[in-house]
Amino acid sequence: MSLSRSPSPVPGGGWSSPGLNISTSGRSSPTRGYSASGTPVMWESARLKTGYPSFSTQRNNGFFSRHMRNISSSLPRFSSSLPHAEKEKEKEKEKEQLSRGRWSVRSVPLLGRLRGIMGRMGKKMKIRLLILLMLLLSIIIFYTTPLVYHWRRTSWLGGGQKFVIILAANVGGGVTEWKGAREWAIERDSVRNKKKYVARWGYELEIVDMSMKKRYAHEWRESWEKVDFIRTSLRKYPKAEWIWWLDLNTFIMEPSYSLQDHIFNKLENHVYRDINEYNPLNISHPLTEPHLDAVSQSPVGDGNANSVNLILPQDCSGFNLGSFFVRRSPWTDRLLDVWWDPVAYEQKHMEWEHKEQDALEQLYISQPWIRKHTAFLPQRMINSFPPGACSENGNDTRIHYDQRDRDFLVNMAGCEWGRDCWGEMYNYRELSYYLNRSLWERFKEDLIALIWFKITGRKVKL
Amino acid sequence: MHFAYPPRKTSNPPPFLPRSSKLPTLRRSRLKIIAIVGLVFIFLVYLISRPRSGHGRFEQHKPSGKPPVVVVTVLDESKYSKEYINAVKDNRIQYAQKHGYQTFFPKVGDYDLKSAPPSWTGVVAMRHALTKFPDCTYVWYLEQNSYIMNPQLKIEEHVMKSSRLEQLMIKDHPVVPPDSIIKTFSHLKGQDVDFVLTQDREGLSSGSFILRNGEWAKFFLETWFDPLYRSYNFQKAETHALEHIVQWHPTILARLALIDQRIINAYSKGTKGAEYKAGDIVVRFVDCLATSPKACETESQKFSQQWRTSFKNS
Repeated sequence: MSLSRSPSPVPGGGWSSPGLNISTSGRSSPTRGYSASGTPVMWESARLKTGYPSFSTQRNNGFFSRHMRNISSSLPRFSSSLPHAEKEKEKEKEKEQLSRGRWSVRSVPLLGRLRGIMGRMGKKMKIRLLILLMLLLSIIIFYTTPLVYHWRRTSWLGGGQKFVIILAANVGGGVTEWKGAREWAIERDSVRNKKKYVARWGYELEIVDMSMKKRYAHEWRESWEKVDFIRTSLRKYPKAEWIWWLDLNTFIMEPSYSLQDHIFNKLENHVYRDINEYNPLNISHPLTEPHLDAVSQSPVGDGNANSVNLILPQDCSGFNLGSFFVRRSPWTDRLLDVWWDPVAYEQKHMEWEHKEQDALEQLYISQPWIRKHTAFLPQRMINSFPPGACSENGNDTRIHYDQRDRDFLVNMAGCEWGRDCWGEMYNYRELSYYLNRSLWERFKEDLIALIWFKITGRKVKL
Repeated sequence: MHFAYPPRKTSNPPPFLPRSSKLPTLRRSRLKIIAIVGLVFIFLVYLISRPRSGHGRFEQHKPSGKPPVVVVTVLDESKYSKEYINAVKDNRIQYAQKHGYQTFFPKVGDYDLKSAPPSWTGVVAMRHALTKFPDCTYVWYLEQNSYIMNPQLKIEEHVMKSSRLEQLMIKDHPVVPPDSIIKTFSHLKGQDVDFVLTQDREGLSSGSFILRNGEWAKFFLETWFDPLYRSYNFQKAETHALEHIVQWHPTILARLALIDQRIINAYSKGTKGAEYKAGDIVVRFVDCLATSPKACETESQKFSQQWRTSFKNS
């Protein structure tokens, strides 16, 4: 066996030969010598220098206790001149004494050595070392441990557990339409996108199965199941305060926005409760019936953000339930209970194309108690549309996605009706990656690749 | 001056060394601890003061209980004679005065019902009462064709006290007789009940019921008054709408207590439900509704002398 470098002596005796470690014991040099002769001298000196660890209970009181050890340790010691066997015996004795009383330094020679180094080190050096250590520690904490995740999750710290995202997956379940490769790809991308987001901010993710099932003899009620899923999620996550419903064809473009920062920390600044601000359905607001109280007649309810229990975006044709929030409250229980009613359904199901969405609009129009606790978000805060949706009047800054404003989420609403869902999903996914590149990637792609292109005239991918 | 020896030390030296710094706590060895405590303190302040995503709970208005009870009766002046209406009004007012209650007498036609039957007026009237008396504790709807017979009984003690209510509640009983599969809750506490009503032989009776003022009561009345229920042509209008929502919506059923009919809703004749006996709080004239308003007035004659004497005696 050839060696990579020549063997070199090791302080304790023996040889260190890094290339040669094929011996059965796994060691290349006799280390027994270490414990026998090498170390005692070494660690004795270390002990001399620094004394026992500072956290021993001994206090430097009084003259004698302060100086006794120094005096005694400077006296000549004869242990090394003892014959070997006796030395061993003494060592045993000493060990016993040590282990009975104080913490044994002898068992950790490295610590003693370190203390020696620290003792010799200057103050400036110590501070520099401390800064370096802090830097290292924070890198470890922020990049390699789940500490940040748990911080963000804990309800009294980051509060991530208060948010549950419900993602409606497996829409239709392949009953009316064949579920092909594109559909699977959409689902995979959408789910991955939400999973990443949730892992980043410590939220909960509930993926629900919206497959078509015949619940009753004569009807498919798959979109009404929203109500049931919200209810079960509230039960499943007892710490959840807000539930965010998301349709499958959505993509979180800016995963760096937390819901708290984006919306909930300053809820009263972001939402509008007076629907007249944007009112595509022309709902007359506020209610004016004389039998209602002042809060019900007020355009903004009681005006306090605490009373908001339902937050909806509106698109060009009214309420949009592709992305909305509900809050855990007795009010929400009532809404979820009343939302589907057989009498209303019997009278209206022919008119209600969007089922639960139309039912909610109907409730909002006719029920003062619903209005009091409903607020609206500007659509582009949580539900930007691609240019293909709501396109009758061209591009609308209230509705359509704009990458310069770094909108939070894109909802490819209605893409299954004649548009290319997978194409849109793919484009927005790539755009999101492009917009959220790291500094290093920007440096590579925007500078190096550009320079390379200028010089050689060839595009490179780095 | 010159001394042979340096001046002597003072003969009475201070017992302690003078302080090195002014504050004894700021000694060098303690500085570290102070710094750590300070950092922890700043951290705690940060934890407390940072923006909270979960904002406060919604606090609903707590009624102060003035008046404790509002008696609501919808009057139909177009069909009934003035004397009769006045007698009914007088009956409620005297009862209310006795216990410090308030009365509320809206009229049929006061509210826009959108072509729904006039019997729906009672539901809006109750909602209106909650608006007019935001601090009342209970609202008692008592239909016009009835007299309060026993002025001694107070609503909040006779019916709504939670221990009393727990005795009165009919538990695990079909909501709509005789065979609805939806049954009243068997584990309901008295303080959780917001809605007290009775059944007669035909089903739920909406002629006399009590509501506890609060967000739930508003939700319930507004849901009951839903335009889609009004336009549905329920055979018995608001009574059947009530039977419908009670059976389909558990958030309503969970706040409802059925009690024995005679507690708040005795009938003058036993054909449609429990018959009135002396000492009951209320007598209602139900059978006459099918024939004519006049029949009700004659039916009421039997009791008008009775309630006046019992009010005088008490």
